[in-house]
Amino acid sequence: MTTTRRNLLKFVGGGAAGALLTPAPWRLITDTALWSENWPGIPRPARGEIHARFTHCTLCPAGCAVRARCVNGQPVSLAGVKPHPISRGALCPWGIAGHHLPYHPARVRQGPVKEALAAVARAISKRGAGERVAVLDLRPGRTVSWTYRRAMAAIDDGLYLAPRQPAYSVDLTEAKTVVSFGAPLFDGWGTPGNVFAARSTFRLVQIEPAETRTAALADVWLPIRPGTETAMAAALAGETTVAEAARVTGLEEQAIGAVKEAIASGPAVVLAADPASPLVNLNAKFHAPGHTVIARREAPVPDAWEKAAPATEVAAAPDRGIRVLLIDESLPGGYVPWQEIQPKLAPNAVVVVFSSSSEGYARHAQYVLPAPVFPEAAEDVGPAIDTVAAVFRIAAPLVAPVVPVVNSGELVARIAGLPQTDPLRERADAIHKAGRGMLLNYADGKSTPVKQVSADDFWKTLNQGGCWMDDSGKRAAPPGLGRSVPCPTLHDELPLTVVVAEARRGGLESPLMSKLERESNLRMTANALAISPADARANGIENGGRCVLETACGRLNVVATVDAGVPAGVVEVASGPRMADLCGASQRARVVRA
Amino acid sequence: MIGGKIAFVSGMLVALASGWLAFPRILYKTRLQPVNFSHKVHAEKAGAKCEDCHSFRDDGTYAGIPTLDKCSGCHAAAMGTTAEEKNFIDQYVTPNREPQWLSYARQPENVYFSHIAHVKLGHVKCEQCHGNEGGTGALRPYQQDPISGYSRDIWGRPVNRIALRTEGGMKMDDCVDCHRRQGLEYSCLGCHK
Repeated sequence: MTTTRRNLLKFVGGGAAGALLTPAPWRLITDTALWSENWPGIPRPARGEIHARFTHCTLCPAGCAVRARCVNGQPVSLAGVKPHPISRGALCPWGIAGHHLPYHPARVRQGPVKEALAAVARAISKRGAGERVAVLDLRPGRTVSWTYRRAMAAIDDGLYLAPRQPAYSVDLTEAKTVVSFGAPLFDGWGTPGNVFAARSTFRLVQIEPAETRTAALADVWLPIRPGTETAMAAALAGETTVAEAARVTGLEEQAIGAVKEAIASGPAVVLAADPASPLVNLNAKFHAPGHTVIARREAPVPDAWEKAAPATEVAAAPDRGIRVLLIDESLPGGYVPWQEIQPKLAPNAVVVVFSSSSEGYARHAQYVLPAPVFPEAAEDVGPAIDTVAAVFRIAAPLVAPVVPVVNSGELVARIAGLPQTDPLRERADAIHKAGRGMLLNYADGKSTPVKQVSADDFWKTLNQGGCWMDDSGKRAAPPGLGRSVPCPTLHDELPLTVVVAEARRGGLESPLMSKLERESNLRMTANALAISPADARANGIENGGRCVLETACGRLNVVATVDAGVPAGVVEVASGPRMADLCGASQRARVVRA
Repeated sequence: MIGGKIAFVSGMLVALASGWLAFPRILYKTRLQPVNFSHKVHAEKAGAKCEDCHSFRDDGTYAGIPTLDKCSGCHAAAMGTTAEEKNFIDQYVTPNREPQWLSYARQPENVYFSHIAHVKLGHVKCEQCHGNEGGTGALRPYQQDPISGYSRDIWGRPVNRIALRTEGGMKMDDCVDCHRRQGLEYSCLGCHK
């Protein structure tokens, strides 16, 4: 056989054909795929001793108990704690991925602490008559909230500001019918485990224009005409006729009548997207106060703390009267639109924000100081709206702060001249001294009466995995309910109702959320909206085209998505500070072509 | 014409020989364990059970390969006369140096595996995944695929396991197949938390 070019090619061809019949090429394809998973830059958890640690999630007021699997002290996965009587072993997607947040590339990593303190001190010393020093606490009810309140009481003309808070808690287990005006019951309204555990005991009537996840899982979804919820409430309260409500809301008379009958047939509760909305006053009409809607005692505090500033809504603060404003935005909470805050600031006001994200008030403040994120900080989590008894649970840190962070409580206490103490320990001691309630230990799932535990063991258990739960006590009606439901208002000039497409927990999100959440929701950014084909046609807006979202507070250039899933009369936007600033409390808007 | 066929067949035979005989040999990088440990001696002469060393902690997590502390409990001084034990004491126990064991069954970083769920709840025998490791007289060499970085035991001993057979390894397919055969749940977040 002669070595010719043709024979050489045939040899190579035979080799190629033979190679396909061996494992080599197929195995190399698989190995190359695996190799690509190990490229440089991909984070690798440490290897070493594996153990479990307990803490509580602070990403929302639910404060679910968390069991962290740690390798060499580093948390690598989070899960729920089954013995916990409220969170019941459940954890939402944000909680599952919470341990990624300290490493988020977009977090605030540094801030001018000394300059901010100097500016605050200067402003306090030079403030004029009637000018106030204020703290805005977006997550009231925590122990650090008490520090703020004490600090503001110690400062002349100090003011403790907080968003409107519901003065009640809801016992879903006692309700036979739940009527929800857009409350995201299955999507972050309360404690996920608690809500789903009670799900089989109540019938859910979801009243909202868009088919949200809660609407999809409800027993009855009433797609109400946007902006007409108050008319529906008035009909349920018997203040208008069912026929009139049907005409205004676009719902069938029969459907409205069925809801009235369901409410009348047994224990019911009315919820609203904003827990402090006047719509919840409907509960007073259905004898819910004291049964399904109840007042909750607060966890005991040291006697010395009783001298604290009361909580004030931003709207009640004097116009142009705040010289120094310190905003605690370290945890996702109720956002107060900047348009409400700005008129309250003096012309030369100093605004300092404690935040981990540059998205919120950081856009408006002179000084942004880096705050710790979950699970870096030791703090407590206040009770959620569906927690009937008072609770005290500490979010023990799982990792040391990745960036140099500022403890807002310590800093505010220092500004006010309060002694530097450990407020969490002081409060734990006060709860222990009160001697009521039970201490639940997550490691063994056992509950022990507080009276049978020493103060040191009580503190140790709270930090290593446990929570205190108050006695149920006597059920009392919450104060503040009983006013009449609000009257319907007309909005001719702003015809669309703003609906928040997705309840988000904060500015920082783990990349794992792209696996756990619908990507379409994650992609809903602050400069985008979704609108129905009918409204898009009426306003000459094309899919993917640029348009302007106009509200009573301002305008924003956005990109439109024409979505047949969005009902007519609704404009869907992502939640977040930018949209909250733009839409304010009115929730009415107009979309025009750019 | 015949020459062309011979060239084609020759090329094919060379590729087949390379792919089936040479490739498996060059694919894996072989390393020896730090200590020539005998499971058999410990089980038969010392009467040790698997869980004496490969134990569960109180919180349910699996201790895995025992640390030096565990070994030193018995081998602070020589118990026998073997060179392996003397070497172990001199090299590791006396200087308190942790042996760098090479784990045959180490899963990738993105996998969560609960031993207690499988052993205590599922009653899965150790041998089902780890083979007869507990009965061997010496630790076999550790073979690592340098491209993927995984142990050969993860892929399975035969090199030709290309998604056709789902037994003998510890790949995702193996886990899913076992769960499927037993009618158990399997979902992404079960293992990839």
